[in-house]
Amino acid sequence: MLIFSPVLSLLALPALVLAAQGSAHERLVKLAAENNGIIKLDTTTFDLLTSPKRDWSASVHFTALDKKRRCGPCREFNPSWVAVAKAWSKVPSSARDSHFFATLEFEENHATFQKMGVQSAPVIMNFRPAAGPRKSAEHGTPVHYDLSSGLDAQPLAEQLSAFTPVPIPFRPPVDWTKWGTVLFFALSGALSFRFVAPVLRNRWVWAIITVFTSLVMTSGYMFTRIRGMPMAAPDGSWIAQGFQTQYGQETTVVATLYGLLSAGFLMLILVAPLQTFAFYLWSGIVFVLFSVLVSFFKVKNRGYPFKLIL
Amino acid sequence: MSMSKAYPLPIDISPTTVANTASLVRIVAFLFISGAAIASRLFAVINFESIIHEFDPWFNYRATRVLASEGFYEFWNWFDPTAWYPLGRVVGGTIYPGLMATSGVIYNVLHSLHLPVDIRNICVLLAPCFSALTAWATYMFTKEMKDESAGLLAAAFIGIVPGYISRSVAGSYDNEAIAIFLLMFTFFLWIKAMKQGSALYGTLTGLFYFYMVAAWGGYAFITNMIPLHALALTLMGRFTNRLYVGYSSWYAIGTLASMQVPFVGFQPVRTSEHMGALGVFGLLQIVAFVELVRVHVSSKQFQQLLFVSVIVVGILGTLVIVGLTYKGWIAPWTGRFYSLWDTGYAKKYIPIIASVSEHQPTAWPSFFMDLHFLIFLFPAGVVLCFKELRDEHVFVVIYALVASYFAGVMVRLMLTLTPIVCVSAAVALSSVLDTYIDPVVPDATDGDADAAKKDRSTTPASSASVVELLTDIVTSGSSPSKRTKHARQGIIGLDTRGVVILNALGMLLFFVVHCTWVTSTAYSSPSVVLASHMPDGLHIIDDFREAYYWLRQNTPKDAVVMSWWDYGYQIAGMADRPTLVDNNTWNNTHIATVGKAMSSPEEVAYPILRKHDVDYVLVIFGGLLGYSGDDINKFLWMVRIAQGVWPDEIQEPRYFTPQGDYRVDDQASSTMKNSLMYKMSYYRFPELFGGGQAQDRVRGQVIPNPGPTLDYLDEAFTSENWIVRIYQVKKEDPLGRDLKGANAFDKGKKRKRTRPPVRRRSLA
Repeated sequence: MLIFSPVLSLLALPALVLAAQGSAHERLVKLAAENNGIIKLDTTTFDLLTSPKRDWSASVHFTALDKKRRCGPCREFNPSWVAVAKAWSKVPSSARDSHFFATLEFEENHATFQKMGVQSAPVIMNFRPAAGPRKSAEHGTPVHYDLSSGLDAQPLAEQLSAFTPVPIPFRPPVDWTKWGTVLFFALSGALSFRFVAPVLRNRWVWAIITVFTSLVMTSGYMFTRIRGMPMAAPDGSWIAQGFQTQYGQETTVVATLYGLLSAGFLMLILVAPLQTFAFYLWSGIVFVLFSVLVSFFKVKNRGYPFKLIL
Repeated sequence: MSMSKAYPLPIDISPTTVANTASLVRIVAFLFISGAAIASRLFAVINFESIIHEFDPWFNYRATRVLASEGFYEFWNWFDPTAWYPLGRVVGGTIYPGLMATSGVIYNVLHSLHLPVDIRNICVLLAPCFSALTAWATYMFTKEMKDESAGLLAAAFIGIVPGYISRSVAGSYDNEAIAIFLLMFTFFLWIKAMKQGSALYGTLTGLFYFYMVAAWGGYAFITNMIPLHALALTLMGRFTNRLYVGYSSWYAIGTLASMQVPFVGFQPVRTSEHMGALGVFGLLQIVAFVELVRVHVSSKQFQQLLFVSVIVVGILGTLVIVGLTYKGWIAPWTGRFYSLWDTGYAKKYIPIIASVSEHQPTAWPSFFMDLHFLIFLFPAGVVLCFKELRDEHVFVVIYALVASYFAGVMVRLMLTLTPIVCVSAAVALSSVLDTYIDPVVPDATDGDADAAKKDRSTTPASSASVVELLTDIVTSGSSPSKRTKHARQGIIGLDTRGVVILNALGMLLFFVVHCTWVTSTAYSSPSVVLASHMPDGLHIIDDFREAYYWLRQNTPKDAVVMSWWDYGYQIAGMADRPTLVDNNTWNNTHIATVGKAMSSPEEVAYPILRKHDVDYVLVIFGGLLGYSGDDINKFLWMVRIAQGVWPDEIQEPRYFTPQGDYRVDDQASSTMKNSLMYKMSYYRFPELFGGGQAQDRVRGQVIPNPGPTLDYLDEAFTSENWIVRIYQVKKEDPLGRDLKGANAFDKGKKRKRTRPPVRRRSLA
């Protein structure tokens, strides 16, 4: 019998490992179930989750939600993350338990952030299985989620589905507020049509709409919207340096300048012929504002060689 | 009634003489405008030479050469096996042939007159010549809006405004060169057709619409503007038989004609872009039918029934179109079109569109640079159009609204905004000049002279009176009796007239100076030949042509050249060698393949290169000279596009440093340093500096010494200023070794033996 015992223990070793593995897996499943499908990680559970013998995959969300970190994108991104993780918790347990969603908060895990070389947040790393049937050849390096596709849940779910055993059944929630607002305005518009109709038939209402739109559009409003430019720089300056860029404040100023200059010409055509004072007033305004505009342009385009009185 | 004049006018001239003189003055003015329009586009030829510019024009030029030398049918059936190697490209069916056909016709006419003009010169000078025609078309269009003097102003504006010159300098041989003329002339014909209800003008609109469809993909703008105008007029209750005749003749003939262009084919009945025109066509038929019935039937109930049935049919028609779109019979909006509405769309789904610099949104300085003082006269002109609001003014208003939005979203669409800004600004400025040149002064004996006197005596006009006047003007829009009353009043003194006219002339002068400056400095660079201003004068940097001619003269005719797609047309046009991808970005996967090869390490890229028979790889490198439009700066787009197809193998974050910076110095990530693009760009670069620091002058970073090494490629050619670098792809090692190992062996490094050497067997 003595001879057999080492053999037996040898035989028992894989089983023990399996048991340890099994218990780690069970623990992770339990942790995930406790918190709506997202494991809240600390240093030990992080090592557990990313153990080199894992036969599961995991998506780990490195974030800094603490108020004093002032991470705007983190807070903006978190709901998407929670929604996708919640969608994943709806799949049958056979598939669900082989991929985990986990969050690592910076405040409590400086060391792990440092270890993984994460210097900004939010970051998502996808760990592929290192063992088992879904074993990946490149399990050593986690794959970063590409945040350039935006902070929305939809692209997140699509891209993370590449790492889960079955695609994440995420459906964007119906935006009831949006539909409600649309419905409300449609209904109130239909009901009040009798009163609104004369306004709609008035050409000057349309003139104001048209002129306002073209003023705003030709002042670079779409640029600030598409590029997400702020109203002004953090240090308070409101003119962006460079010809191909601008801040939101510039749109307002330029649109006002254009509007006033336009109004000046209209006054000269329509009103000033009848009033000498208005004539001098608007002629002066047009000249001065045009000089202001040119000098403003000179700030944006330093090589511009011309100027008026300013 | 006697009217006093502010300045004396000759009274003994007959009205015919005045009319004839005015007509002569107009013709002379117009000749000057044409001259100025053509001349200001010749900066590029004078500063450099008669050369085709940029990228797309090189393809157009190459196609035109085929057309001129082989005839129209050969051109029509042209299959180009050298583009998109190994796929090839059916050129006849994938281009808008209008531009080439125009040059071909001019070429043949000149040659039949025994004027042996080189086809290149026709191509180079086509855009300036058409700009004179554009000025004329704008004159005709504006004349319909106001009068001849506004027309002349508009023609002068469009002749020299940088927003249009930017796409039409000599050598810029692109579709836009003729398209803006066609756009304005089609719009003019449409206004004529709509005003006169003439089937002849409607047909002409259709024919010029066909020309436009054959010339530029932007024809969709006309396809949607005209229906929008017709719809707005119908909704305003201004439906007339003239509108019906004009629209129906345009739509029927224009659509059938446009379907003859192979590239367009059945799109006018199968895609959403064209459904608006079809829908309005149907609507007008119903409305016309109802109008007809209404004339003949008096019963009120029946009329109400008709009214309801129109709405029901309209809704049903819309539902049918929606249903067909849903079923897939009508293609939904194409990505390019859709990205105009949903501005985040392109970035997310079609990075290849988002990567093009002319598809970026427009910041305000670009508007001012391209349109100068027209940009603030433009809203004033729109308001004046609202004041009168004839049917054709509705067109200007819609055009202004739509085009200013589009120009804000995409820099490139500044081009479609420019004509309407010129028209509208001309209307405004001409109104100013009319008001202050008109010699009539208020008559003292007139009824409301007392009121005028009171206004003058109480000099500081209270704001209330201004408001009063404004409301007067606003409400007077529709009542002509009141307006004549105001028109009789005029400006009194010569001093006020002088101030305004001098001010306007000053602005015009400033405009001319501005346009000349912008054109000569910003818009006249061919980008094939660069110029650099040094203390010792102007240096011409001709690296591109140097390299392309090297390829042409030193490589076999069928040597395949791989480069990023930007340079595909230039290589085909100047070097005459097959390319993998070019500026006709129709196959995203093929472009992503090139992107993958460029962003992968050598050993991964090599099989891709060999599988595509690539003999040479060409990269653009600006680090030595400080040329910022080089491939390292475009590299992230290659990575992104490749990532779109192979998300597992190529990942953008790996090309950044851990801090998230895009660097090329010793801190660059290993993926970056091992990528083929990085290696080809900086290969042997540090050697140039001896022992000194190898400074990249675009990125301002120091390249580590020793620089990257290459095992699978050989440096074949580097141009004078290192802008173009060409590498030859090595063939497989003749001994069947891995090229890396073979290279190491050649350098005398011992390979680690992994298995014992095979002993020679002794012969038995």
